[in-house]
Amino acid sequence: MTCNEFEELLPDYLQDPTDPRFRATVEKHMADCAECRESYALWSKLVTLPDVEPSPSMRARFDAMLNAYEEGRWEHDKLKEQRRVAAPSGFFDWFRMPAMQFGLAAAMLFVGILVGRSMMAPKAEPNAEAEQIAAMRQELSTTKQLVVLSMLQQQSASSRLQGVSYSMDVKQADPEIVSALLHTLRYDTSVDVRLAALDSLRRYNDEPKVRKGIVDALQSKQSPMVQIALIDTLVDMHERDAVDQIKKFQETPDLNPTVKQRAEWGINKLTRG
Amino acid sequence: MTNTLADEELMFHVRNGTGEMLGVLFSRYQSPLFNFYCKLTGNRALSEDLVQDVFFRILKYRQTYKPGTSFKTWMYQIARNARVDNMRKQRPQVEIEDSLLPVVMPADRAQQTQETALLHKALMMLPEEKREILVLSRFQELKYEEIAKMLGCQPNAVKVKVFRALKDLREAYQQLEASRPPRDNARGNDYDVQ
Repeated sequence: MTCNEFEELLPDYLQDPTDPRFRATVEKHMADCAECRESYALWSKLVTLPDVEPSPSMRARFDAMLNAYEEGRWEHDKLKEQRRVAAPSGFFDWFRMPAMQFGLAAAMLFVGILVGRSMMAPKAEPNAEAEQIAAMRQELSTTKQLVVLSMLQQQSASSRLQGVSYSMDVKQADPEIVSALLHTLRYDTSVDVRLAALDSLRRYNDEPKVRKGIVDALQSKQSPMVQIALIDTLVDMHERDAVDQIKKFQETPDLNPTVKQRAEWGINKLTRG
Repeated sequence: MTNTLADEELMFHVRNGTGEMLGVLFSRYQSPLFNFYCKLTGNRALSEDLVQDVFFRILKYRQTYKPGTSFKTWMYQIARNARVDNMRKQRPQVEIEDSLLPVVMPADRAQQTQETALLHKALMMLPEEKREILVLSRFQELKYEEIAKMLGCQPNAVKVKVFRALKDLREAYQQLEASRPPRDNARGNDYDVQ
């Protein structure tokens, strides 16, 4: 027997050396072949590698996670309960019955036909429909906001970047999103994420809070790229109140020469324009 | 009482929302999982993080557990995914921590300790997928059929993988043994200082 034929037999033997189906064959081969013997010896020796004890902090971390989960779940259940009180109890159980489902399907079909017909005819009062659609939009935008807020908290820069670009979809200036974006603009560790946050914020440039936040973000500690983008944004927004801040900023010792030039240009634009 | 329940029953309860049952599963598997990762990565802090990640994922994806199937297989599947995601996030770095190596033993056991340290080194020299197959089959008490399910291949393919990984381990070990400096001193551990 060659070692290759041994390929599938040895592992069987490793898991159960007492099995008579291969025991004799394997042991005979090992008596002849030093290499396979050595392989087997190493396999046996592997168990001598010591086990390590996890530190007690691992349990503590796990418990904290589980607690957080239980609390979140509890909140979730409470919400559900509240919703249930609002709706007539037991009402939805009807929908689970096959007869009801069948009836509903037929009704839907009927409604479909009616709607199809009415589309041909001149439009009737669309009020109720419009309201429903508005409610759905509202819900969708709340979900979007939540997604954006949680993504801005992510560990990886690419997820945060994605969060910022999602924020572009949120049309109205939501105060929470605005403050999250302003925080990102000032303190995010990645330049890309900060620049993207600035882009997203620009859309709300008629909000006083956003304007002030952008002015405040012009700091000497920022990276030159962000500094230039900030100056450009302030010029675009015609933010006259920023002139003092830019002047002060321009005085910073060791300021990057390109940034200094841009600041000068910005001051000119803002005072003249 | 919950301590006598089978893994699968516990996980069934977790799946249905009884989160505290996961605590029992954590008690059962924190050590095996931790050792699985330590042997795989050679890094204690990383291993602790990965164990946390696995239990977090178990909670998060609890609905994907199919009642009646082996919890252990499912858990190790999650564990492998967690490791793969983690490797994608950071550059692979194989460094063996001293604390994972056997401590210096009294003189009469020094020879054996030396061998163990050498074996550990040889194991860490293998590519991670080979190390993984050895760790799964040797230390985690998983059957080839279970590993096959995890890797998505036939049990026979797993056996071949085990055989080849073992062959590579032998070669690494022999290479290390050949390059080991001759040693008169029975005490001391060459691999303690790194």
